[in-house]
This record gives sequence, structure tokens and C-alpha cells, in this order.
Amino acid sequence: MFNSMILMAEEVANEATVVNEFEQTLLRIFILIIMFGLGAGLTPKDFGLALRRPWGLIIGWLTQFGVMPLTAYILIVAVLFPFSMDENIAFIALGALIMGAVPAGTTSNLFTYFSKGNLALSVMMTINSTLWAFIMTPLMLFIYANFLSLDDTITIEFTELATVIVGLIIPVALGMLVRRLSANAGSVLELIGGLFGVLFIPFLIAIWVPRNWQLLLNTEWPTYVVAIGLGLVGITVAFWIAKAIGLHPANVRTIALETGIQNGPLAIAVIVAVYIDSPGLDKILLVPALYSLFIVLISTAVTFVFRRANLAAEQKIPNLL
Amino acid sequence: MPNGMNGSLTYKKIDSLSDDFAAYLRETLKLKAGARVAVQMPNCLAYPIVAFGVMKAGLVLVNTNPLYTAPEMSYQFADSGAEVLVVIDMFADRLPAVLPKTKIKTVVTVKISEFFPPIVGGVIRLVQKVWSRTLPKVTVPHTKFQAALAAGRKAKSPNKADSYVKGITSDSIAALQYTGGTTGVSKGAMLSHGNLVTNTLQLITMCGSFMRPGKETVITALPLYHIFAFTINLLGFYHIGGRNILVPSPRPPSNLRRAFENYKVTWLTGVNTLFNALLNETWFTDSPPKQLRASAAGGMALHESVSKKWREVTGTPIVEGYGLTESSPVLTFNPLGGKGKDGTIGIPVPSTEILCVDEKGKEVALGEAGELIAKGPQIMLGYWEKEAETSNALKKGFLYTGDIATMDKDGYFTIVDRKKDMIIVSGFNVYPNEIEEQIAAVPGVTEVGVIGMPDDKTGEAVVAYVVAGLPAPTEEQIIAHCKKELSAYKAPKKVVFVDELPKSPIGKILRRQLRTGEIEKSKATTGKGA
Repeated sequence: MFNSMILMAEEVANEATVVNEFEQTLLRIFILIIMFGLGAGLTPKDFGLALRRPWGLIIGWLTQFGVMPLTAYILIVAVLFPFSMDENIAFIALGALIMGAVPAGTTSNLFTYFSKGNLALSVMMTINSTLWAFIMTPLMLFIYANFLSLDDTITIEFTELATVIVGLIIPVALGMLVRRLSANAGSVLELIGGLFGVLFIPFLIAIWVPRNWQLLLNTEWPTYVVAIGLGLVGITVAFWIAKAIGLHPANVRTIALETGIQNGPLAIAVIVAVYIDSPGLDKILLVPALYSLFIVLISTAVTFVFRRANLAAEQKIPNLL
Repeated sequence: MPNGMNGSLTYKKIDSLSDDFAAYLRETLKLKAGARVAVQMPNCLAYPIVAFGVMKAGLVLVNTNPLYTAPEMSYQFADSGAEVLVVIDMFADRLPAVLPKTKIKTVVTVKISEFFPPIVGGVIRLVQKVWSRTLPKVTVPHTKFQAALAAGRKAKSPNKADSYVKGITSDSIAALQYTGGTTGVSKGAMLSHGNLVTNTLQLITMCGSFMRPGKETVITALPLYHIFAFTINLLGFYHIGGRNILVPSPRPPSNLRRAFENYKVTWLTGVNTLFNALLNETWFTDSPPKQLRASAAGGMALHESVSKKWREVTGTPIVEGYGLTESSPVLTFNPLGGKGKDGTIGIPVPSTEILCVDEKGKEVALGEAGELIAKGPQIMLGYWEKEAETSNALKKGFLYTGDIATMDKDGYFTIVDRKKDMIIVSGFNVYPNEIEEQIAAVPGVTEVGVIGMPDDKTGEAVVAYVVAGLPAPTEEQIIAHCKKELSAYKAPKKVVFVDELPKSPIGKILRRQLRTGEIEKSKATTGKGA
């Protein structure tokens, strides 16, 4: 998932050498192990429940394609346009809009798991929003680009979305199967998946920062506000909407993370596919690249808060007898 | 384990391993018949091996709560004269302070992951050591459980095994089950082999076709060191060849989730707190166990609101029984299958005689409240080395329970209250439970404890201590509710809002502490006024 992002962010923004094969493979294996492990914590019943009470899915859909593109738009209008000195501001804005319009990815599943959210709902939301992305992402981009008079449209290749979905469903389904065959194997897998998930975060940062630190130095503050704000506002707003509706706390946490955490690699892949010949390619990639780093940091912080809330809400019963 | 990790043992394996353990106790340790073996561990696979091993060796089992503090352990081990302690390694750090005060010569340590598959067991050990840090260093000399079994395996022979139980009759002591720790000095109830066997059969009879031989899967979330789970879950379901899912700790209740997900659970035993807690977990109410057939409650009163909701959510019967440690424990039980009455503790189990008597020991009229006394094959032999206490509790073969109960015309008993908690308002008997149940129904009341306090006009007056949730009810609302639902003299005169109620380690509200606290408080107020 992230390999393409790192590859592109590095190639384009940093103009350095390609990420090496070894790291790419390592990241792919990481994600596979993580999703395999997370799948081993699930049962078909969990998915059945999310379907039986589709409110979570519906709210998630609304926040995913309602809140996120709107947040991107507002940040552009309120912060980027008034304060940025960059002459290529339109390209940066376009990148921000695309970032806001893409669906969620695997990272949101991992953080939902660590936040003690509803993992089945998270996986279903990811699949759901990815399927809808075929229509909704171009549509949202079209609408908001028009507002900004950017006059840009994109299309998403079906294969890009299919890759996301297949890459999610297969390891999760296999994990579930393992658990069904052996509860012990399932829980050991789950533990390993979680462990890799924990390692995944510093690993990602360790790969990202050395290659892109130049980017961090050269970027203006309004761009930072957009890149960081998108995830932060998305998580916060989705959290309060889901909470106001009165969903179960685990589902509220899930929707918050699922909404705020976008599929960064997908955004980058789409941009590269569509704008490969554009002179502004590096600027379009700026917000997605920054977002991809900061969302990991934000989500980690949010996860700590959510875990504490979950622990506090856990039923305390006295010793039985 | 909360994460779904598990190990399992077959009946055959437990049979052979408990033979090993019996041989270890008699041959390796050279214990004499009747010696006491203290066992202190949460629910785990080693438990049935140790418990049955002790009995096969003709020795006496002393079940001990693993959450006991060092002084509590010292008292119980010294009082019982236990010579061997089988203890979970997680709590072995208390031993240096305990052992010198007891006659314990041998300590056997048990791992929680005993008999788990090697990799899984290794992972659990690693997590315990590195992550949760629940494995203190055992500083006293000790033998590991597997080493003890290996030694026993070498020493065992069928002839010797027969000799261990020679002379053991149904009247021989099988277990010293300690009780009364919260109200006074803890005493060891001497339960005989006959007591335990008959009580197991009495219970199975009451459950009828709900306990199908070889077909039940029961979750044992209650600790086996307690007589409730010991007799009902371990002995009862063992007898019918059920599958027992041992849960080391049901706290928090989400620990039970994987057990319900991974096994086709047909039975659950528990206390009111556990059933209520499960009903408050969305994972449980969203998909209640499909194969569940019946649940049994005991230990404390099962609230009618909980039993009603349990039936609604699970679609299966839940019945309440009643008993004491001194009665192995079951005395009464609601028959499963349509004839149970909510709010009652049911009818006496077979071969059991139960009466409600007044203070002179005379039977009260039908429907009137009196102390519940019971006679039957499950009543203990007496308290271990406590003559005076024994003669107080056992009179003419009847066990005096100290619980006030009524019997209806169909023979169903209802516990009204504990004898010593009764409040006398202007000569009327008031039972705190009745009032607590009413106050608990007021919206916003989380917990309530009712006691009597001295009153110039009425002798004693009813005072309610309330822990309020949101929205918090007012004193007026609570009193008005009680006046509507109860006779006026039963309504509290005063409602005190507190943050927390004093509770025993097992979660029972300690009215005694409320009373002493109340007296101190009123003294303080008087002092201020003067």
C-alpha cells in the first residue's frame, strides 16, 4: 500500500533514487501479516452484525464522502489561498482535494484495531468506500474543483480500486479461516499481526523521513495546515457526528478513524496515473505526501486517547464470589 | 484466555494425571491419609487434576481464594493444618511472609498455561513475563507441577492407589471449605465425600433433561475454589460428561467474549453480577449464544429485572438456587423447565427438609418470615476444630442459616434478608433487601444499601445510602417512590448520597460498615450541634 507512496513521493518530490526493492517487499509483507492477523480476530458474525445494523456503514459513507472533501475545500479556501505565497498554489490545492476525495485504506483498519474499535465495521467501511470511490471520488473532485475554478477532472482505474479490495479481503478471510480451524493459531496470529502493526508505524516513519526531510523544510506553513488539518478535522468531526447520533462508542471510534484516515497510496497512485505529464506533478503530490506522514502521527496520538477512553468505559465488576 | 488461546484435557488424561498427582502426594511426599492439601489457583487446567488427585489420595482439599492477602492465607493454612500448598506461580510472592506461620512443608507451583500447546503456552509465559509482569520470582523452595506429576508417575501403581482410599467412607472429610470471612472469623466447613456426591446428584436431578449426559458445554466463569462452581460446574458437569470451559478471570466481562464466540456454549452458571454484566455488554446482547439452553444463578439474590432481561435476550430459562458453603452448597433450586418462580430460591432439592422457624426454633405459619433451617445429606459434618461454632450452627441435625425466609403454599422459598440486618421500625420487621430492590428501580440509582439507625420515635429508622448515576434522583423522588410501592413505615426516613458503598471483596454491600459509619457520622453531627 505504502510502497507506491514512498516510491512516488521520493521520486518526484525529493528527486532521489527509487526506494529499494527490499524495503518495498518488506512493506508488502508487513501489511499482509497485519491484515492476516487482524482477520484472525474476526468471525463472520461480526460482519453480519455490521450489516444487520447498517447505521455505522451509512454514517461512515456520509462522513467519508461528505466531511472529508468539504474539509479539504474549506482548508484550501480559508488557509491555503489567503496565506500561501506559492505560485503553484492551484496544483497544491488540487492535490489536497484529491486527498480529501479518496476512500479509506488499510491503515485505518490497523488503527481501529488498536483503538479497540469495531474492526469488522472498519473493514466493511473500507471496502464500501473503496467501491463507491469509483463514482464518488471523481464526482466530489469535480464539484469542489468547479467551486475553486480549477477545472480539473480525474478518473480512477478500476484495477487500482480492485487491488485495494482484494488486498484487504483475501488476508482477512484467510485469517478468519485460520481462527475457525484453530482458536489457538488464530490468537497467536492476531498477536503477531498486532506486533507487526506496532512496528509498522516507526518503520514507516523511518523510511519516510530520511528521504523526504527536504520536503519538510521547504514547505510553507499553510500547506502544513492543510495536510495536517485534513486528517485531524476529519477524525474530530466524524467523531462528534457519530457520537451525536448515539452510536456505540466502539463504532464512534471506528467511524472517526475510518473517515479521517484516507488511502494515501491510492491518492498518490491516482495522481501519478493521471498527471504524469503535468508540469505541476510534484506540487500536486505535496499534500498527499505530507498527509501520509502526519496521519500516522495523528492516528497514533488519537489511538492512545481512544484506548484510554475504552479502558475507562470497560465494565468494572467486583470479584465474583 | 481472554484472547482465545486455550488448552484442553480429555477425561482420560485427567484420570491418569490425577492418579499421578495422588501418587506424588502419598509416595513422594509421604503424606498420611487425612492430611490437608491447600490449593490456591484461579480456574485452570491444573485444577481438576489437583482436586481429584487430592481426593484419590485420600487426603483433604483446602480450597483457598487466590486473591487472599498474606494474613488471610496464613490464617487459613495454619487453621487447616495444611502440609502441602499447590499454588499458582503468579501469587507465589506472598509465600515468604506466609509459610513460617503454617505447617506447610511442600509448595508446588502451577502455571496458568499448564497443558496448553507448547507454542501457545510459551507465548503466554512471555506475555506474563515481559508485558504484564505478573510472574514474580518464587523465592521459597518449590516443586514445579510437571515435576511433581512426573515423580508421581514413576511411583504409582494400581495396588497402592487402592490403598489410599481404603477406609475412606462417605463420612470421611473430602474438603475443608472456608467461609464467613467477611462477617467474623473464617471457619472451615468439613464437607464429606457423601456431602459432595449427594449434592451433585441432588442438583442434577433438579435440572432434569436440561443436563444431557455427554452433550453440555458449560462456561465456568466463577472460581472453582468456591463451593458453587466446585460442586455445580466441576462435579456436576463432570458427572454428566460435559465439556467445561474454564475461564481464569471474567473481569472485565469482555474476557468472556472469545469463549462465547469459539465454543457452542449450552450452559452458564453465575451470580447476579455476572448475568447483569453480560447484559450490559453489546457483543453479548447483539448476538446472544445460540446454543445456550439454561443458566443457573446463586451466591446472591438474582434480581427479577436481571432474570427477566436474561430470558428476553437469550430466550432461555434462568433459575435461582440457594445454598451455603455449609450445605455443599445447594439446598433449594427452582426446577428448570417451566415451574420456576422468579424472585424465589425454589423448592428444596431431593432428600432435604427445610423449615422456617422463629427465635425459639418453632416453625412459623405458612407465609410468615422465619430463619431458614435445613436438614439433608448435603449438610456439613461441622466446622473444623470449632466446637462452639458448630453447635451454634448445627442443632438436632438442622443447619441454622441465619437467613430469614418465607415459604409459599406451593413450597417455594423466598429469602427476605439476613437475620442480623433486619430493622425494627416501631415494632415492625423491615428487611433491607425489599427496600433496596424498590430503590434500585428508581431511574438514576446505581447502587443502594439500606440500614437501620437508632431513632428517638420509632426505635430504629430506615436510612438508604445511594450511589447516584445520571440523571441523579433526589431524596424526595426516592422516598416518594418507596411510599408508593411499600407500606409507609418501610420507606426510608433519610437518603444519603455517597460516592461509593463499602463492599466485601466479593462485591456484597457491607451493611455493617454502613451502620458503624452512620453512627460515627451522627455523633459528629450531634457534637457539632452541641
